[in-house]
Amino acid sequence: MRAITATQAAVLLPEIEAPTACRRVSLRSERPERASPTPAGGAALDDYVARAAAGDVRAFEHLYQTHLPRVHSLVRRMAGGRDADELTQDVFVRVWQKLSSFRGDSAFGTWLHRLAVNVVIERFRQDTTRRSRLHDGEEIFETLSAPTRSRDVRMDFEAALETLPDGAREIFVLHDVEGYKHHEIGALLDISSGTSKAQLHRARMMLRRYLK
Amino acid sequence: MTTPLSSHGQPGPHRSDRLSDYLDNEDLSAAERADIEAHLAECGECRATLAELRAVASIAASLPDAPPTTDLWAGVANRLPATESKVVSFRSPRRFSFTLPQLVAAGLALIVLSGGMVWIARLGDPRATLPAVVAENVPPEASEESLVRASFADSQFDAAVADLERVLAEHRNRLDPDTIRILEENLLSIDQAIEQSRKALRADPANVYLNNHFAASRNRKLALLRRASALALANDTSGS
Repeated sequence: MRAITATQAAVLLPEIEAPTACRRVSLRSERPERASPTPAGGAALDDYVARAAAGDVRAFEHLYQTHLPRVHSLVRRMAGGRDADELTQDVFVRVWQKLSSFRGDSAFGTWLHRLAVNVVIERFRQDTTRRSRLHDGEEIFETLSAPTRSRDVRMDFEAALETLPDGAREIFVLHDVEGYKHHEIGALLDISSGTSKAQLHRARMMLRRYLK
Repeated sequence: MTTPLSSHGQPGPHRSDRLSDYLDNEDLSAAERADIEAHLAECGECRATLAELRAVASIAASLPDAPPTTDLWAGVANRLPATESKVVSFRSPRRFSFTLPQLVAAGLALIVLSGGMVWIARLGDPRATLPAVVAENVPPEASEESLVRASFADSQFDAAVADLERVLAEHRNRLDPDTIRILEENLLSIDQAIEQSRKALRADPANVYLNNHFAASRNRKLALLRRASALALANDTSGS
């Protein structure tokens, strides 16, 4: 068994203190367009987090409702629509269990988002077939059928995402939708940056067909 | 695969495999970037592919989030009671830092506080001559239960308090205004405690805790009045 690297630890286990250099990552979740929802303001959200960490289920339900669309969309896209509801529930149960380890070093939304990614990837790790698809070659992309077109480009795009091979879709979602860098994806999925780049490019080349 | 020759010369093989790297600008050397840019300047097909890849990345980054179509909370909530409830700090230990003026202010506050404690210690000066306070006789059966049964109409207590208050009133001008303010605040607090105990005892006269609390509160009031009177008298003596 290979020893986990510091970078892997930082990406896989957000609740564990990582070296400073490892924590300097640029996530789209920190960018304005995908900023975590804070409808009641940062201070109010902190209050809900503190109460939930102390065992207040009502406060936790508020956090759940606030972050549900973000988490469910992430899970749905990464999982290709399969088991998205069950995985989303798993994420929030894990959040409840891990809340005590949240120390406020990053925004709560960022922490929760990473936890969600970890839950999904853990599930995928149990699927050996899925794991092998992280290394799919060019030929698999030639066999994919085009989804039904609609008037909504984004709906088409979401449908097209689901047709991608599992590995390519996970990498595409992490990179282009969620803003992870290739070295972070490599650490998360235990693959090389080169593999991540190749799969991303293939996914993009396939998806561009649905924009024509 | 190659692209037709341009008027500027041979653009070389397509760089489509590197277009995503170029678009993301991750781990691309300056030389590689320059090479791709030179090719793009000559190759319309690669420029078109790059534009499509850019559009794909742009749409992906702007996909809206949507909640699930079914309510998932029940499934989450059902699994929460099985998890361990915890009361913990969710933040790392907070670090405090102070500016120099803040440290100076804190030092001054400490000096004032220390002086105040010395002053309070002096209140118990044994040289003070005060009216004696006679304790109420405790019935034998009560003392066996460590019970100080309260007497609401304790004439000795009332007389002692009245005597001390008279002394204080007569020599009040010998006390510092801040001392008087602190004294009055403390007396008010003790009086409130006595009153609360008195009310509670009306409902439960045999309650051991309430009786002890009531007696202790009254003793505190007497002790405070005695100390304050002693200080006032001592100041009066030294000033005259």
